[in-house]
This record gives sequence, structure tokens and C-alpha cells, in this order.
Amino acid sequence: MTDKTEMLHPAATTLASEVRAGKLSRREFLSRATALGLTAPAAYALLGLEAPAQAQEAKTGGILRVGMEVKAQKDPRTADWPHIANVYRGWLEYLVQYNPDGSFEGRLLESWEANEDATQYTLKVRPGVTWNNGEAFTADDVVRMFTRWTDGSVDGNAMASRFMGLVDEGTKSLRDGAVVKVDDMTVQLVMSVSDVAVIANLADYPAAVLHSSYVDGSDPSANPIGTGPYLPREVAVGQRAILARNADHTWWGGTVPLDEIHYIDFGTDPAAMVALAGSDEIDCNYETNGEFIDVLDGLGWNKLEAVTASTIVMRMNSANGDLYKDKAIRQAIQKAVDPAVVLELGYNGLGTTAENHHACPVHPEYAEIPKQTIDPAGLKPALEAAGMLDTEFELISLDDGWEAASTDAVAAQLRDAGANIKRTVMPGSTFWNDWQKYPFSSTTWNHRPLAVQNMSLAYTSTGSWNETGMANAEFDAAMTQALSLADADARREVMVTLQTILQDEGYIIQPFWRSLYRHARDGVNIDMHPSFEHHHYKWSLA
Amino acid sequence: MLPFLLRRVGVMILTALTLSFVVFCLTNLAPNLEKLARTEGSVRMSDDAVLSWIENNGHGGSMVMRYGQWLGVAPGWVRTDDKGVTRGRCIQGAVTAESAPRFCGILQGDWGTSTVFREPVIKTVSEKLSSTAWLMLWVMLVMVPVSLIIGVLSGMREGSRTDRVLSTFAIATTATPEYVSGVILVVIFASATTGISPILAEWGWISGRTLFLGTATSAIDKITFWNFALPVMTIALYGIGYIARMTRASMTEVMTQQYIRTARLKGVAFHQVILKHALRNALIAPFTVIMLQFPWLLNGVVIVETLFNYKGFGWTLVQAAGNNDIQLLLACSVVAVFVVLVTQLISDVGYVFLNPRIRLS
Repeated sequence: MTDKTEMLHPAATTLASEVRAGKLSRREFLSRATALGLTAPAAYALLGLEAPAQAQEAKTGGILRVGMEVKAQKDPRTADWPHIANVYRGWLEYLVQYNPDGSFEGRLLESWEANEDATQYTLKVRPGVTWNNGEAFTADDVVRMFTRWTDGSVDGNAMASRFMGLVDEGTKSLRDGAVVKVDDMTVQLVMSVSDVAVIANLADYPAAVLHSSYVDGSDPSANPIGTGPYLPREVAVGQRAILARNADHTWWGGTVPLDEIHYIDFGTDPAAMVALAGSDEIDCNYETNGEFIDVLDGLGWNKLEAVTASTIVMRMNSANGDLYKDKAIRQAIQKAVDPAVVLELGYNGLGTTAENHHACPVHPEYAEIPKQTIDPAGLKPALEAAGMLDTEFELISLDDGWEAASTDAVAAQLRDAGANIKRTVMPGSTFWNDWQKYPFSSTTWNHRPLAVQNMSLAYTSTGSWNETGMANAEFDAAMTQALSLADADARREVMVTLQTILQDEGYIIQPFWRSLYRHARDGVNIDMHPSFEHHHYKWSLA
Repeated sequence: MLPFLLRRVGVMILTALTLSFVVFCLTNLAPNLEKLARTEGSVRMSDDAVLSWIENNGHGGSMVMRYGQWLGVAPGWVRTDDKGVTRGRCIQGAVTAESAPRFCGILQGDWGTSTVFREPVIKTVSEKLSSTAWLMLWVMLVMVPVSLIIGVLSGMREGSRTDRVLSTFAIATTATPEYVSGVILVVIFASATTGISPILAEWGWISGRTLFLGTATSAIDKITFWNFALPVMTIALYGIGYIARMTRASMTEVMTQQYIRTARLKGVAFHQVILKHALRNALIAPFTVIMLQFPWLLNGVVIVETLFNYKGFGWTLVQAAGNNDIQLLLACSVVAVFVVLVTQLISDVGYVFLNPRIRLS
């Protein structure tokens, strides 16, 4: 044991002692220790615990019917919905997987190690993995994937902005010498800046690993060469997708329990989902929202919950909305909204209140900062001072269930506080056209394992998903610093600055963290994942 | 007869051209192209990326030229991007840039590719149309006999109790739109928590949790009474009331005619009078109405197919419109024009056979 411990990342043992001292939750520990390169069982062992074994030997066989929208397949790096990935997950796998308990698990990578300041990562390829055409999976494939991911010239490449330390700014492609093949089973990442989110980024849904024969931009299901245990039998957009066990492929993970997985598209109406559950046309759904949680509970279905940092953000945009250029106005609007009320009215209280800074207590680097005081009475004087008492503020949202309800709750509180609010709801077909430019609207954010991931994407002046127009040099500098601190405790110090600035800028009303739910009938062994990932190999039927 | 048919075909082609051009213009408005770019590329694309996407995917240039490409009278677009990959309207699947024809529009039999369903438009439309044809067939099989019987029964003795009861039913059903009757039917027959299903399940009369299925998705593969009854009833109910009212009006008018009175006075039995003398004359008006139901059904199914998630023509139209699928919408509008005008043609020709007094030309 002692020998092994010495090989561990120095921070891991310290973290373990913090757990024992009660300074760190077990969930946070798993998330951080595995990000530093520990395997999940090793991380559990450090705590003196047994890793939770896969539930008793799962029965092999059966077809599982999942109610989920079936969207058109895309080049994975440009995939913009988890739904798309959940289909190609059947035959494409990931280097690393983020598990619902907050840990990172090597899949096509056997292990990885980070150096002290997170500028170098050594990735070990899992031996014995083959593509379903018989070729072996090697370090070359890993290097090739990094080249694909870092290609900034591809319209909508979601991976491009995630490996800044590997990219050559000039050519917007992989920097020479950034990803080095050490031997057939080892790859070394040499980054120009430190980045703590590399492992987390490798686990995100656009990071599926493709075969060398894949044609850029094509439909991955057309020529489904992958390492995974299933094959797509049919992908009919808007109708269904069928994954069937690939009989001609020896999957490195053994035999997957389910014979087939049928994704059936019944549209987006949650009421339809209830009807389907009632008439036994599906075995489980993709997600259950709001009031329908009680309804499906009432039908006797099992509720599966994932605690997440998924959230809704009503953000003001100073780049497109003149109304929101004044920080005092933004702050007054932000402080006029009581998060608890929004959580109750908008999401039936199925979550926890947040603090308008987009860092969640489940994030390892979350820092506690003094609570904001909610001050509805302050809005009117602030508007008066700016001469905007009669100005109409338009608050836009999608016309979708809880998103609309939460935004309504915000609008109602602002109206009560004395602002002249116009509420606009738009159907998905028109909302998405210009959504990044709306002066004041709500956006949903999915869960990401680290707080700095969302924050750097959304609130730095160069962030690719910045839809607030926020450009704060101090924030940018602090973010650069935070992204170089592999140790979450060290990062937490910087997080105080980041969270405080973000909250103080007043751009966002971020009222609550959602818990996510889905339902399954009795006898279905599945789980709910905070990022809606479907890990098919874990599923089975009793 | 022949000049009449030719004239009708001419009108049909002209209408299809006009309508498809209008649809083409609407789907090619700048904001619609932007939306297409964002759904096809990525929602998070920058504005520059959107513009380059539009240009690189053949949506640039003049609208008339692009419409010409769709028709097949203008050469299809070809572009070579900065990576040296040549793409174009006529280059797809196994066809390479070298072997691609210059023209590939509907005149050449190429209806293009659907951006939503990622398959040839002709395949999507024909598959969905056949699904909807099944739905229409069952609707017609239920609607026509039922409505004619109701109409004749209530029309043969105007003002009688049968007439009052049946007329009330007919007016009620035709006054209820599908999106109301559909929901009511689902609540009563296909919900595990409301209506009669929980009661029946408790009594052990049904093995599942609901009497009927609330969705018709499974009917695409196999039509059963359980998955098809509700959508068919929803559409049929509305039509039943309408056609029954028409039949009743026509029947009551016929029943006041001199020759009916003569037949009655001659001592012919009442049912003989109805079947032999009244019915044929009374069916002329309902026949037109029934033929008019076809175009109405084709568009009316939009609501029902969406409500019951039956993936037919109406549902496809919604998907195509919601995602600005240009090629698919164009094909749908051509199909719609075709169906409307052909059924009207049949209706006009059929009229001649039912009513010898009418000549086509």
C-alpha cells in the first residue's frame, strides 16, 4: 500500500485526510481525486472503502424502450444535444467517463497522471481495446482525436475552445509537439497554459472517439465503426433509433446485458410521456420535469434522481441591450429577485437555491462567500435614479414548462418591485434564431463537473458562449489563474474573487440548481446522469 | 371530356408552380436560412460562421436561380471549400464531383434531400404519405357509412324524434374541433389515471392499464384496433357530423319532391321509397362533400397526427415547417396541390355519372 501511495498524485492523500477530518464531502473527493489520475476503486480505497460493485450480476437479454427525442446525427465534435450523443454512444466510446457519483473513470484510457501545475498529462491507453472492424485501438487514435478536436476551422466545433493549451493560436489547430505519442500505449499532453479541466473535457458528450475512416462532418451512424458494444440498426430522425448488440465484436468490457435499446421519439410534450408510461409503450423516459414527477410517481414508476449543477440563468446582455449597460441597474434587478420564490414557483422546489454566481456547492472548488441580501425595495429608487422608471424591460424565454414558469416568477417579482416588465415567450422554432443576442432572456445550462468550466465559457470576455457581454479584466485574469491550479483547494481561493465579481457585476439572475429526474418502470435497472449521459453497458432488465 | 381533363392538368401544374414558388420564397427568407444554418451546423455558431454556412451550402445567390435549380432548369450549385472538398447540389452519396450531372431538379426526378430526416425527400414523402393513406382509409371506412346512415335516418322524417337526436349528435361532433375531441377521447379511454381505464383495470376487464393506446406511434409498424381507434375516431367524428348534416338537408329536400309523394300514394312501402327513389338523388350533394374531405383530411391530419404522434404526412409537414426543411416543404406543397386537384377532378367526373343533367364541357 505504501508503495502505491507514493505513486499517487501528492494532493490525493491530502484530500483523503480532509475527508476523514470532515472538511470535504466524499462526492467532492471522488471528483477531485479521480481528476488527478486515481482510478475510482483506488480513490475509494484511499478512504478505506470498497468501491461500490456493479449491482449483482445483471441478467443478460431483453429490449429496453426509452422515450427520447431522436435528433439527426452529427459529427460528434459539433453535436449540440446530449440526445445526439446518447445514440452514438452505442458504438462510440470516450477516453474518460464522468460517473453520476462525481468520479472520472477511464474507459479507452486506462489511467492518466497530471503534473503539479496541470501543464502536462500522461495518458495511458487501455490495452486490449479493439475497433469493431478488428483493428487495435492505440495511442495513434488518441493523437488523431486531439487533432480533430482542436481544429478551430470547423464551423461549430464544440471541442475546439476546450483545449486552449494545446492549440496554436495562429493556425487554430493542434500546436506542434502539444500531443506526443510516447509509445503505442502512452500519450503525453504538453500544454502551453495549465488547464485543470482536460480530463473533464474528455468526458463531455462531443468527445466521442471516432475511427480513422470517419469522414469529417458525415453522419457517424452511416459507417458505424467504433469500439463500443452496440451497432445502430436504424436511426430515423424524429421517430426512433435502434441500437442492437454487435454480435461480431468482442467488446473489451465483456458482454453487455441488453440485447437492444430502442429510442422512441414521442415529441417533447411531457403529458404524452405520462400517457406512454400509462399504456406501457416505454420502459423509461429521458427526463421528468416539474409537476410530471408527481404524476409518474403516482403511476408507480421509480424515480431516479441526479443531484446536479444544472441551472437556469436569466441573463442581461450589455452588448446588445442599452438598458443593461449600467451596473447599478443590473444589480438592482438581480437583487430584486428572491431565488427561493423562483425555485418554488418555477421548479416545484425540486432543487436548491443558488447565489447568482454560477458556482454550485457540488463543484469541488466552490467557495462560500457572504450571502447576498435580497432587496426588492431597492429596485425602484435605482430605476428612478437612472430615469428608467417607465422604461419597458422585455424578458424573453422559451415557452417550455419550467423554463417559462421560472422566468415568469422572475418577471412577477420584478413587476412587484416596480419595474415595467414585458414577458415574451417564444416557441423553440423562433427562440433559437437569435437567442444569444436577446437583451434579457433565460438560458438553461447543463451540469459540468467543475465550476471553472461553465464560468470560463460563459463569463470571460473571450468565452465562446458569453451571452452577457460581460468583459471584466479582473475576472479574466483571475480565471486564467484558476485554470492553472490543479488543486481545488488552491483554486477555491481564486474562486472567491471569481464568484464575487460575477455576482457583483449583476449580469445574471441564477436562482436555483436543479435536481434532475427520470422515471423507469419496475424491473428496469438504469440510472440518472447529471449530464443526461446514457451509459448503456450499465443498464439491464430484471 | 378530354379538353376538360387537359385543362385541369394545366391548372394543376400552374398551381403547383405558383405554390411551390411561394413556399420557396418563404423558406428562403434570410432569418429562415439562418435558422437552418444553426440547426444544421450548431446552435452556438457565430454570425460569421452562419453566413459562411449559408454560402457554402448553396443558399447564396439569387432566389430565382435557386428556384430554377430546384426545378431543374438551372444548373445545380457547386462549391469547392478551402480544404479542396467539392460539394454541390448534384453531388451526394455515390455521385462524385466529376460524374455529377449539371442539372438535378424535379424535372430530372431529383426531389433533393431532407435536412430534417437526412434521406431523399421522395422516400420521406412516399413513406409518410402511405402512412397517412392508411389513416385516411380507415377514417373514410368509418366516416362515410356512419354519416350517410345518420343523415338518411334523420332526413327521411324531418322533425321526428330520431331526427332531433341524430341532428344534435351531428351538430355536437362537427362543432367540436379535433384538438378538443382528441384530448377528450384520450382522457376518457387512454389514460391510466382518469376516465374508464382505471375502473376497467380494477374490475380486471383489461389486462393493461389503459383501454386504448394514447399514441398511434406503434401503428406505423402494425395497425391494431387499440392503437388506431382513437385517432380514427377523432378525425371521423368531426367529418361524420358535417357529412350527416349535408345528407340530411339533401334527404329532406328530396323527400318533399312530387315523385316521392306519388310513390307513397301508389302504396310503395316506405323503405322501398327511401332505397329506390330517394337515396340516389339525395346522395349527389354528400358525394361532393365526401370528395372535398380528402384535401381537408390531408391537412386536417396535421393536428391529429401531432396529437397522437402518428408519423404520417401531417406530422412530417410540422417537422419540415418547424425546421425550415426547404426541399421537403416544397415536395409537400406539390403533393398537396396534386391531391386536392385530383380529388376535385374525380368529384367532377363522378358528378356526371350521378347526375345525368350535368355535362363537363
